[in-house]
Amino acid sequence: MKKWYRLDTAALIFPAISQRDWCNVFRLSAGLTEEVEPEILQRAVDDLAPRFPSFFVTLHKGFFWYYLEQNRERVNVRADYAYPLTFMGKSELRRSCLRVLYFKNRIAVEFFHSITDGHGGIVFLCTLVARYLELKYGVDIPKGDMVRDLSQAPTKAELEDSFLHNAAEVAAGRKETTAYHMYGTPEADGFRHLTTGVVSSRALLDAAHGYKVSVTAFLAAVMARCIIEMQALELPLRRRRPVKITVAIDLRRFFKSDTLRNFVLVLNPGVDPRYGDYTLAELCSTIYHQICAGATRQNMAAMIAANVQPQKHVALRLAPLMVKNLVMDMVYRQSGESGGSLNVSNLGAVKLPAEMAPYVERLEFIIGPQRSYPNNCSLISCGEKTYINMIRNTRESELERRFFSSLVELGIAVDIESNTN
Amino acid sequence: MYCVKCGVRLQDGAAKCPLCSTPVWNPDGAESGKTYPDTLPPRYKETIHGVLFIITMLCAVSVSVCLAICLRLYGTVSWSGYVALGVVLFYIVALLPAWFRHPIAEVFVPIDHAAAALYVLYICLKTGGNWFMSFAFPVIVASCLLSTAMICLLKYVKRDRLFIFGGFFILCGAFAVLVEFFEHISFGTQMFLWSLFPLAGFGAAGLLLLLAGTIPPLRHALVKRFFF
Repeated sequence: MKKWYRLDTAALIFPAISQRDWCNVFRLSAGLTEEVEPEILQRAVDDLAPRFPSFFVTLHKGFFWYYLEQNRERVNVRADYAYPLTFMGKSELRRSCLRVLYFKNRIAVEFFHSITDGHGGIVFLCTLVARYLELKYGVDIPKGDMVRDLSQAPTKAELEDSFLHNAAEVAAGRKETTAYHMYGTPEADGFRHLTTGVVSSRALLDAAHGYKVSVTAFLAAVMARCIIEMQALELPLRRRRPVKITVAIDLRRFFKSDTLRNFVLVLNPGVDPRYGDYTLAELCSTIYHQICAGATRQNMAAMIAANVQPQKHVALRLAPLMVKNLVMDMVYRQSGESGGSLNVSNLGAVKLPAEMAPYVERLEFIIGPQRSYPNNCSLISCGEKTYINMIRNTRESELERRFFSSLVELGIAVDIESNTN
Repeated sequence: MYCVKCGVRLQDGAAKCPLCSTPVWNPDGAESGKTYPDTLPPRYKETIHGVLFIITMLCAVSVSVCLAICLRLYGTVSWSGYVALGVVLFYIVALLPAWFRHPIAEVFVPIDHAAAALYVLYICLKTGGNWFMSFAFPVIVASCLLSTAMICLLKYVKRDRLFIFGGFFILCGAFAVLVEFFEHISFGTQMFLWSLFPLAGFGAAGLLLLLAGTIPPLRHALVKRFFF
């Protein structure tokens, strides 16, 4: 009998808002020192299946809810395409909710967001790379939080929906002012332009600390400034909209949880450009303090409750999936993406075991464009470098140009890579 | 290598800056280390064949039930013929193109008109009328020619849209007069009873569009006033 799982609280929304040409997928990849051997990678993937049962799943429709079912088919590794995060349609999700890809010396895993978040993804990727290195070089890599022990069974805590245990009694409101959204000329056939800026983690940290803020707040502020400038060129003052940056908050910081499924919420700090001009220092300060004010245990618990309570509502539970999809799509339209102009998703500094370091050159984290706006930004630090990925599904590269040029002007040297060289 | 405009360092061998498209001088002819292959993913499109199959079955069942009831009650196909052919007409017009990944409009529009002509012919024969050849057929043929020509022009002529729409509007007005003319010779109704109104309306709109196409300042003023 195939094992099946309910979708966790955050995961419920993703199948409901999927469209015929868009769904929420993210990618984590590791750059190795040598070219990847697909046969060994395939063996490593096969070895991971029993340890990560909630990843090797397929998505199906029930009468009332979507559910995940254990995937007994092998997840085949395959060569990468010309751009990351190619469309993962419903028919593919019925076969697998993750992809393992390789190109030259890179191993990449693309996850449908319903199965995990960035934290779960990086644990999966590190364990996969560790297993690959064990098989290829025979190195013994110590097991821990980042590299899980494949000889052990998955724990209950890893598979739980941590949202359900940590909701407050009273739910926070969902009301959000609608933010400015950028637009552009869509690329044919869903092509995604990826621009990677490689910067020194130390230089980035120093620059952020120079403004007395965190790296996430600093980059969000720089991004907000670029978007404010672009909006000013397009709209007269009175017609401008607030510029808000969606920042993902890992809830494991606030609540005790070892789950590898989704356990993340977002905040939308930002400013309203109609109220006047902001210097970068002012932007850094206001965004940083908005994040600090929002990212508290109590506020997060109340935000979790806002997601959990509708799930427990009898009338909603009894509604057929088709009705739920319509309701969730409507809620998402009103309070999902509308509250932010762009994501800046920071997975933080990943510390790999010392035994892996000689074989792993870099890590990358890429989130796809949103449904209603074309650009997104994600970053991850590994070793002394931070990899800032900006993705877009439009032709215009103006935001990337402004953003990376701003970093250069602020004294942070940026090495640029692109998939369209 | 650095981009002289953005100040960022570029990959060795990059032909241009990915941010500002400034060409990069590459005197050593170094080759770019590609970060992604050239292979594009297969084109993906969710099909709705499952939904279409269900609707097809529903149509078939409804037609069969109507015919069965009619035959059982009257021993002949009376009212159920209209229902059955109406469902077939609806199916051809609304659902048949959806089976195809890239339905060609200039093919399906004549097919739709042919289906409509057959349905009208059935009604004509069933009611014992003699108006099909003198009224319905020429009207449907004219409608078919007009709409197919419009679709072809919009598809294959990428400029002078104002002239195309202007001409189409005027021809729509003329089509109304034509319909009334055939109505007049088939049913003996009074000529120019109603068709001059659509002719005037469509004609004025068409002429305005033709004028806007000819006079650029007028075109710009209209675009400024009515953009959406």
